Amino acid sequence: MLRLPVFDVAAPDKLTDALRSLADSQAGARPLGGGTDLLPNVKLGQTRMAMALLLRGVGELRGIERRGDNLWLGAGNTLAQVAQDEQVRDALPALAHAASRVASPQIRNMATLGGNLCLDTRCRYINQSEFWRQALGGCLKSHGSECHVVPGGQGCVAALSSDTAPALIAYDATVEIASWRDEGVQTREVPLAELYDSDGTRHVRLESTELLVGVRAPVPGLNVRVGHRKWAVRKSIDFPLISVALRLELDGALAAGGKLVVGVLGPRPRVLDLKAFAGRALAPDFARDLGQLAFDRCRPLPNVPYDAEYRRERLPVEVRRLALSLFGDQAAQS
Amino acid sequence: MPIAEPLDPARARRIAVVRLHVNGQAYAVAAPTHWTLLELLRYQLGLVGSKQGCDKGDCGACTVLLDGLPTLSCITLALSAEGRHVETVEGLGVGGEPHPLQRQFAERGAAQCGFCTPGMLMSSAHYLDELGRAASPVVRQQDIAAALGGNLCRCTGYTKIFEAVQAAADETCDRARALADGPGGAA
Amino acid sequence: MNGPISGDKTAAQLHRLAVDEVATDTVAILGGRHGKHDALDLMTGAAGYTDDISLPRMLHCKILRSPHAHARVLAVDTSRAEALDGVHAVLVGAELPIPYGVIPWTPDENALALHKVRYVGDPVAAVAAESEDLANEACRRIDVRYEVLPALIEPEDALARTDVKIHEDNKHGNVTKRVQLAFGDVEAALAGAELVIEGHYRFHGSTHAPIEPHCAVAVVDGKGLLTVWSATQVPHYLQRELAKVLELPMRQIRVIQPAVGGAFGGKSEPFALEFCAARLAQKTGRPVKCLYTREEVFLAHRGRHPFDMRYRTGFAADGRILAVDSRALLDGGAYSSFGLVTTYYSGQLLAAPYVFGSYRFDSTRVYTNKPACGPKRGHGSVQPRFALEVQLDKASRALGIDPIELRRRNFMGEHATTVNGFHVGSNGFLLCLDAVERASGWRDKWGKLRPGRGIGVAGSCYISGTNYCIYPTDLPQSAVQMALDRSGRVRVFAGTSDIGQGSTTMLATIAAHELGVELDDVRVVAADSDLCPVDLGAYSSRITLMAGNACLQAARTLGERIRGIVADVWGIAADQVVLARRRASEAGNPERWMPIQEAFLLAEGKLGLLGATGSYNTPKTGVHGDYRGGTIGASPAYSFTAHVAEVQVDEETGEVEVVQVWCAHDCGKAISPVLVEGQIEGSVYMGAAEAVMELHEVMGSGLRSDGRKRDPGPGRDGLLAASSLLDYRMPTSLDVPQLSALIVEAPDARGPYGAKEAGEGPLHSAIPAIANAVFDAVGVRVDHLPITPAKVLRALRERPDRC
Ligand SMILES: Cc1cc2nc3c(=O)[nH]c(=O)nc-3n(C[C@H](O)[C@H](O)[C@H](O)COP(=O)(O)OP(=O)(O)OC[C@H]3O[C@@H](n4cnc5c(N)ncnc54)[C@H](O)[C@@H]3O)c2cc1C
Ligand code: SF4
Ligand code: FES
Ligand code: FES
Repeated sequence: MLRLPVFDVAAPDKLTDALRSLADSQAGARPLGGGTDLLPNVKLGQTRMAMALLLRGVGELRGIERRGDNLWLGAGNTLAQVAQDEQVRDALPALAHAASRVASPQIRNMATLGGNLCLDTRCRYINQSEFWRQALGGCLKSHGSECHVVPGGQGCVAALSSDTAPALIAYDATVEIASWRDEGVQTREVPLAELYDSDGTRHVRLESTELLVGVRAPVPGLNVRVGHRKWAVRKSIDFPLISVALRLELDGALAAGGKLVVGVLGPRPRVLDLKAFAGRALAPDFARDLGQLAFDRCRPLPNVPYDAEYRRERLPVEVRRLALSLFGDQAAQS
Repeated sequence: MPIAEPLDPARARRIAVVRLHVNGQAYAVAAPTHWTLLELLRYQLGLVGSKQGCDKGDCGACTVLLDGLPTLSCITLALSAEGRHVETVEGLGVGGEPHPLQRQFAERGAAQCGFCTPGMLMSSAHYLDELGRAASPVVRQQDIAAALGGNLCRCTGYTKIFEAVQAAADETCDRARALADGPGGAA
Repeated sequence: MNGPISGDKTAAQLHRLAVDEVATDTVAILGGRHGKHDALDLMTGAAGYTDDISLPRMLHCKILRSPHAHARVLAVDTSRAEALDGVHAVLVGAELPIPYGVIPWTPDENALALHKVRYVGDPVAAVAAESEDLANEACRRIDVRYEVLPALIEPEDALARTDVKIHEDNKHGNVTKRVQLAFGDVEAALAGAELVIEGHYRFHGSTHAPIEPHCAVAVVDGKGLLTVWSATQVPHYLQRELAKVLELPMRQIRVIQPAVGGAFGGKSEPFALEFCAARLAQKTGRPVKCLYTREEVFLAHRGRHPFDMRYRTGFAADGRILAVDSRALLDGGAYSSFGLVTTYYSGQLLAAPYVFGSYRFDSTRVYTNKPACGPKRGHGSVQPRFALEVQLDKASRALGIDPIELRRRNFMGEHATTVNGFHVGSNGFLLCLDAVERASGWRDKWGKLRPGRGIGVAGSCYISGTNYCIYPTDLPQSAVQMALDRSGRVRVFAGTSDIGQGSTTMLATIAAHELGVELDDVRVVAADSDLCPVDLGAYSSRITLMAGNACLQAARTLGERIRGIVADVWGIAADQVVLARRRASEAGNPERWMPIQEAFLLAEGKLGLLGATGSYNTPKTGVHGDYRGGTIGASPAYSFTAHVAEVQVDEETGEVEVVQVWCAHDCGKAISPVLVEGQIEGSVYMGAAEAVMELHEVMGSGLRSDGRKRDPGPGRDGLLAASSLLDYRMPTSLDVPQLSALIVEAPDARGPYGAKEAGEGPLHSAIPAIANAVFDAVGVRVDHLPITPAKVLRALRERPDRC
């Protein structure tokens, strides 16, 4: 059996206690949402921890509620809850879709939104057993000194394979971060897109004492359409090989702007601005140009375990199809 | 596996007591803090029905219901089950009678080697629960396939599993309808 | 005589069987739609698998494995591991120096490396400790010094590099086996052919991936008797190899195979874990368990051999096959495994159901520094079948003949001999073709579906066991002991391995049918070498035919005794007594009956304890040709299969969705139709997965999925590209095509009630049927499996009408 190494467990039921534990543990504690990313990685010896901080009991991380023009989602909601929640489906359908396409039914019951956003980066040279990585000689993200994806490369380019991150970035979501400092709870809020760094060994810009508490997404108006699309070899269980979200801002029947968010490239999603497309009709040629934009500006790497050249060829097709699905009837008419 | 593992002085073992309900029975079980729920079930409680196929979330053989929801016990810490309700395949039948799913799986050849079966049954049981709660239950093959999307089976090609779940689901719907149209409902 | 059961039943006898069935006015047991005999145990967690065994004082074993693909082992220092508290024994190769191998002629493996390691993952040392954690820690503290050698990853390199030898004492460089056989004048036939199709095919590696990982538990009792429980499909061969390697007499070893969670050929030979657990149990005097991690299962492998195949096939204008010429290079991995047989099978099993005017094959298997390949469902014959059936499809297009019609024209017939001398008895291939043609709506679909949608056909043939045991012996290949007891119950003792395929149900069904009891009245005790007679194991689809015949013989012996005694009491002829529905009754006079239990008691009172044995041995004449190698691949009876697959190809992404597969399989007689359907469905699922999805690939090897050569790079040679059930992508419930299993019964005189095999045959032609359907859909061929989206896209780009 693949065994977990020895560690302590703490199960706070208040945010302050959780934050205190983190602050006290001198970087040895790891927040554990569903554990569906953390525990496999710890079992494989890829991640080490001295203490698992179970977040399940922390009430402040739960709940989905409308706060003014925003929808607020606690980081502790499970992906199944996010996918099924009526408010989310209404206000942020692309998020509901992304959540519903993660992994498998069991994992969605366990996995949390916070964990999905803080998911470790993935690479065929790192998501392996300790034995395998030792036989390889390691890499920048484990005990080695070179990257096998980009030989000679200076940084780790393992891929952020979160399905909800591209969708939430497309919704202009921000994340609420808390920590225990100076005998009190300190909070800060950053745009989700800025949560990520380009170093695959440390791609989430959180201090070891910080917790992600919740996500706030402005509910888009009628002139905004957001969609998400995922491709993986299998229709269940698989991590995405392509995960893209598209935000389309409209002015009447024409495009006014928006963004294309492409996941599973490197350690952070690629955000492409669509201002240049203002004035375009929601027609097939616009969709094709969006695909071309993705093709020109994004280069999938052989980090995740699939043929990178093919992923590159497939990306524009997925983007175009996503765009067409957002165009809806308008595209069919033109 | 003994609970009191020989002490490696370099790494003191941490043991905790987990209080949980398994198949309706309350337990207080001592377990090392780094044990998974699967290890607790199999090696501490002797509930070996839940299987280990991959040990890291990829196969579904270890699926149990945790507070009613299908959960992978191989990547759930035993301590995460504190105060919660676990249902395993051993608890599916009632009073020695097989659950309709067990009967249908058996009659229709939905298990070949049987190794995926306990996990498959638990995911299916949840699907039936949901169906039973639906206002107007409809049995759809694609819903069944989706409900089983986290349980790999290497033997059956899933065909007979779908058939068995479908048959059990039809029974559930019939029961629900009978209840609705029953003496109380009709009157 | 052919053996204890002469096999060849007359048509009249077969007819009588059918009448018997009708005479019992109840749901038939034989051929009835029952589930598995032991099904409820599988539903409740009660079926004990090897890892469910936990013994008092049990230790845990872990194996240290080589990080190098090819290296000399210079020194192994275990002292730091042994010093660890809780570690009870450490084992190194020198303690188990005797090599083993499932084929007695090619013993080239040691439980733990002696002087060399030959793939990443080759076992080097083993530890028994109080817990798995401690055993793992001890492994970390074993210091091994290696001298790294060049690794040969590509089979082509293994052939070319004569300076690097993976096995020093091998006679022919890195060639483990070469088979060249010719039947008739192939060159002349090709020269005279109307059409010659030439093709280059590649079949990739895939692995069994049963959901249960390998596991073994060993214990030694006070008398020195070693008991090994193992998730194996060949307990008998395991017992033999344990005896050899541990230098113990067979009588000192008991092998028990508990419930097995799937195998598919992946557990059909002994592995390091069994030897290590056994020796460590001897060393420590305590029970020892060794459970493989999922990664170790991928390393143990023995999966489908990658094949590189060149085919030339000559056709007459009417579509008849005049010549088949094949050259194949088989990538064997680090050890022989069943490789000698695989190399023969790669040619020998192809010559039915079609008449080959002439035939020649030249197959070479080489060692490479990768996990060893072996027998995966459809051992050795799935790869050439793919090539041939695509060749036929190409010919049908070139000749303008419907591909089903083309196959019909080449049908060899029943009771015919193949070009390589195999005698085929019953042959329901035409019925299979008819069945899939009808069920799939072929005539309205082939060549007529909208662009992107396509349909394809293929056919195949497989063996019902091999005519000869793996080691030379005249002893029966299967045997059964049967006892009736006073409670009205039948006990069957058989060495058979139920690995999910349902052999226990098969035995119970035969016993119940013959002795007039219900299925639940039969207890089958199987696969325990102390309690059961020898059966060779669950491989090459042999059990139904062989153990089934043995069981039938024992049951008939007992049935006759009981009928005789009851007939005496009633004063009627013995053949007027019918045993059915827990009763003995008079034929045609249902009023006269007694409970079966009473009949058993009567008979026991008169004859003493009611026991009988049955044995099966294969017929030794009229089975195969008389040439060197002509016995390998010969079988008492052959199954036949036809597949039609319907696919949807997305021309923009290249993705192939296998929408539906119809498979008609001639199993002779479906003793338990539900189980036969299950075997068909499972086989087709596995074949479809191999066609479009699964890939057991080693880094540094072969072509990438996009067809370009990969760049090995430092330190990566020989590492598994996919060593988890996440990365090795097997279809989920949402990826599986609709499967339609159609049972065809052409009873074979040599099978019990006419039964042949059903567990492997239905995999074969699924793959070429899908490949042919892709061509029908989009007009391109992908002859290098698997049919990945990237390959389809590339082929589409090169499609003439696109230029
Ligand atoms: C077989 C399999 C398939 C998968 N497929 C997919 C997929 O298709 N798409 C996908 O996106 N993911 C997939 N995953 C990964 C994972 O299941 C999900 O990303 C999941 O959402 C992670 O959530 P979690 O709560 O389980 O995270 P955890 O494992 O609990 O945590 C993940 C990381 O986030 C940190 N963390 C968790 N919560 C917080 C918090 N509140 N504040 C700060 N840090 C926190 C943890 O310390 C850890 O580093 C898959 C996993 C498996 C095993
Ligand atoms: S991207 Fe490079 S450094 Fe990062 S995990 Fe992969 S191989 Fe290692
Ligand atoms: S054993 Fe838990 S998912 Fe495979
Ligand atoms: S029945 Fe064997 S894995 Fe499903």
